[in-house]
Amino acid sequence: MKELLKAVFLVDLIKGLAVTFRNQKPSLIYTEQYPKERPLVAERYRGAPRLNVHPDTDETLCIACNLCALACPEQLIVVGAERNKETRRKELTTFTYDVSRCMFCGLCEDACPVDALELTQDFELASYTREGAIWDRQMLEEGPLPTEYKH
Amino acid sequence: MATSTTFLDTNELVLNMGPQHPSTHGVLRVILKLDGEKVMGADCVIGYLHRGVEKIAENRTYQQFAPYVDRMDYVAAVSNGLGYCLAVETLGGIEVPERAQCVRVILTELNRIASHLLWLGTHALDIGAMTPVFYCFREREEVLKIFEKYCGARLTTHAFRIGGLQYETYDTFEKDCHAFCDWFEKKVDEYEELLTTNRIWVGRTKGVGILDAEACKTYGVTGPVLRAAGVEWDLRKAQPYCGYEKYDFDIPTCANGDTYDRYIVRMQEFRQSVRIIRQAVDSLPEGPIKGRVSKVFKPPIGEAYESIEAPKGELGYYVVSDGSTQPYRLRVRPPSFVNLQALDEMCRGCLVADVVAIIGTIDIVLGEVDR
Amino acid sequence: MEEILDNPYLQPIIATLLIVAVFPLVAGYMVLAERKVLADLQVRLGPMRVGPYGFLQPLADAFKLMLKEDIIPAASDKWIFWGAPVLSTFTALTAFAVIPFSDKFYVADVNIGILFILAMSSLGILGLILGGWSSNSKYSLLGALRSAAQMVSYEVPLGFTTVTALMVAETLSMQGIVQSQLDKGVWIAFSNYGLMLVPAVVFIIAAVAETNRAPFDLPEAESEIVAGFHTEYSGFRWALFFLAEYASIFVICGIAVTVFFGGWLRPFANVGFLETPLNVAFPILLFVVIGAGCALGAVRVTLAYEKAIMGVLALAMFLVAGLFAIPMINELIIGFFWFLFKVLIFIYVFIWVRGTFPRFRYDQLMQVGWKYLIPISMGGLIVNGIVLLFTS
Ligand code: SF4
Ligand code: SF4
Repeated sequence: MKELLKAVFLVDLIKGLAVTFRNQKPSLIYTEQYPKERPLVAERYRGAPRLNVHPDTDETLCIACNLCALACPEQLIVVGAERNKETRRKELTTFTYDVSRCMFCGLCEDACPVDALELTQDFELASYTREGAIWDRQMLEEGPLPTEYKH
Repeated sequence: MATSTTFLDTNELVLNMGPQHPSTHGVLRVILKLDGEKVMGADCVIGYLHRGVEKIAENRTYQQFAPYVDRMDYVAAVSNGLGYCLAVETLGGIEVPERAQCVRVILTELNRIASHLLWLGTHALDIGAMTPVFYCFREREEVLKIFEKYCGARLTTHAFRIGGLQYETYDTFEKDCHAFCDWFEKKVDEYEELLTTNRIWVGRTKGVGILDAEACKTYGVTGPVLRAAGVEWDLRKAQPYCGYEKYDFDIPTCANGDTYDRYIVRMQEFRQSVRIIRQAVDSLPEGPIKGRVSKVFKPPIGEAYESIEAPKGELGYYVVSDGSTQPYRLRVRPPSFVNLQALDEMCRGCLVADVVAIIGTIDIVLGEVDR
Repeated sequence: MEEILDNPYLQPIIATLLIVAVFPLVAGYMVLAERKVLADLQVRLGPMRVGPYGFLQPLADAFKLMLKEDIIPAASDKWIFWGAPVLSTFTALTAFAVIPFSDKFYVADVNIGILFILAMSSLGILGLILGGWSSNSKYSLLGALRSAAQMVSYEVPLGFTTVTALMVAETLSMQGIVQSQLDKGVWIAFSNYGLMLVPAVVFIIAAVAETNRAPFDLPEAESEIVAGFHTEYSGFRWALFFLAEYASIFVICGIAVTVFFGGWLRPFANVGFLETPLNVAFPILLFVVIGAGCALGAVRVTLAYEKAIMGVLALAMFLVAGLFAIPMINELIIGFFWFLFKVLIFIYVFIWVRGTFPRFRYDQLMQVGWKYLIPISMGGLIVNGIVLLFTS
């Protein structure tokens, strides 16, 4: 009997309506207005790569060991090095990183023995050309500049 | 298929559903044979998303291949990673520390929730309820935030490494998990209020796409679809891995094996996952997070098969080693692919509108079907 | 001059031009309102990028639709493909002719007004069927067939419930129906000892189905048959279908309000002491609140032109509020205000329902129509008839 009454008065439907009605509260709005508000990504976020330089001397930390290139499953890192005649040390000359093929797995970052290569919190990697997605040493050291949106 | 023998069969209309159809969940193409709106047969055409993942494995080292498995069932990337890591660990005889196992359980259960949430949202959307999908994505976002904080990626996480974990848990990990569980339980109640008793929902799902236990076994269907048919089969209980035997949880089952029952089973699994997460977080042991794996990992010659209970069913990895750093052969048993086979059986005799409900209820991810 | 003013056709012509000119814009803002309300139900924000709070979105959409390439499928039946949206829009807009927006503003007060509207809305189906059939696509065809079956079955309960209401009102003229509610002192939905509530509810359900709205939106169920009858339409033609759909929503809400909920009457139209609070204080308060909301928005947005738009809106709202304070103007517009107010409430309910329920399946739709709504509406007709017989 109770069931029947519930069915006649559409209790199940009204319950559903109540749920959506409750969720109308403006404070429950979950949208992030992306270009206007920048999401705060986590500290460990694996985004755009960066080749760290020494904060004081501006010299690269990279020792050109090529481990990152070997670790990468996509083989998209190319490390160019030259042996310095005087110090008998390998020195980094070029470093290219093809962001378009990267899957941000973090294996290169893990492989780096001196924490030179690092995946940063920046996530805006779009580029108008394919070539633009191949980052060279300069770009990797400077890091990408986050786009500023006016409105 | 209709067995009409007349010369001019005017009754059958062949309808191509997909690969660009709003509710075939990606790039599935279903060729429907219709009599009016009644379905006489459904043929699946797959492979639009084939990337040759198994072949790629043969050209990557064991560690290098780990990120690729995330890209098969991309809504349950953590589960995929777990299955692969378990298989390789068995192959190489690697011990995984307790703490790592526990964190793995927490993350895979969170991932199960995320995967089921995506299923619930899209399934409801297919059936025409457009609101649950937004609520589900809101909750899923919270899970993804935990992933992001833990390992730095949201979807294709690459959270586990062979031998254990790469990352230690972050400071507020336990607190975040508990907060999510408390919050999420209330949300599940809300979904149930919105759908479980709703007469339209019940009408759309009850008795639709029935697959009984016998048929499930014939097709090799696993996961919630099998459990909805009344078979109590869950690899977490049947052959526990990662220390699942330590946790107290139930296997929800139903009897009829229709779309509604599958819905009920998954809704119950939400609650069970929450239970497991709570226990695991509370019992998180201290200790190392990675077992002993050499940098150049060369497992002995041999083969291994490990399977786990992924959100969609039994997910198995079969790895053959020839003693080098790269697998000689790798084969995946993807639950979506196997479950999709039953589509024709489930669809026959129903209406076009039911086909989308049935595709939704199997819970396929085309990345995994096509690999 | 005198002659022109006395011409009996003057008022209808002005009203017609006003409706035809203004309704597309209104429809655009109905869409915006729908998107905003739906977004609100779904914890989203809705359109926010064009203009302040997405206020200019309808204009952007209209431009986009008009600038789009006009595609006519090669295998389609060109003339019918071309004519179908026109037919739909035409019939939907014609139905406006007899809607009593207020005691002063209407195109025509025909003595068979309600019949005219029902006839027009059934004719509208023809546009959908032709559109679906002529595009030569399977999805369109399925959609067209669905809409035909659906509208035919839901027209019956719609008709029965309207007849029940007409029995109470004892007239077919739309103005007459409202007048009779004023004379009786009670809205038809609540008359007959509350028995009329049943037909009223049935009418609303059938109205949702008749306008192809969720949960009865099978002809355009996007998850099943892509976009139903207008799958192959794009650009401006598609916009016409859209316009027709929103026009018929407005019309059907207008009928519901007129026939069951007192049309342009205020609530408790016969209770004298409520005159000032409901007819003067309420609208003023409402518009002041909306205006204050706009002013707050103007403070919140950052860009100058957005600020300007919101500011103008706020001023306009305050101005309208002021208009209601002038007795002479108040008398002119208060009927219109109540009619629109009620229609908007109905439209809100339509959207709310759309945001909540899953979609029916084809056979279930028929079941609901034939097994529940038609018997209930027939029963309602008979019971109400008997009660009327004994009480009059
Ligand atoms: S993140 Fe992964 S794919 Fe990208 S460069 Fe590093 S190792 Fe290669
Ligand atoms: S692993 Fe680190 S140090 Fe070695 S080459 Fe790569 S970036 Fe340089």
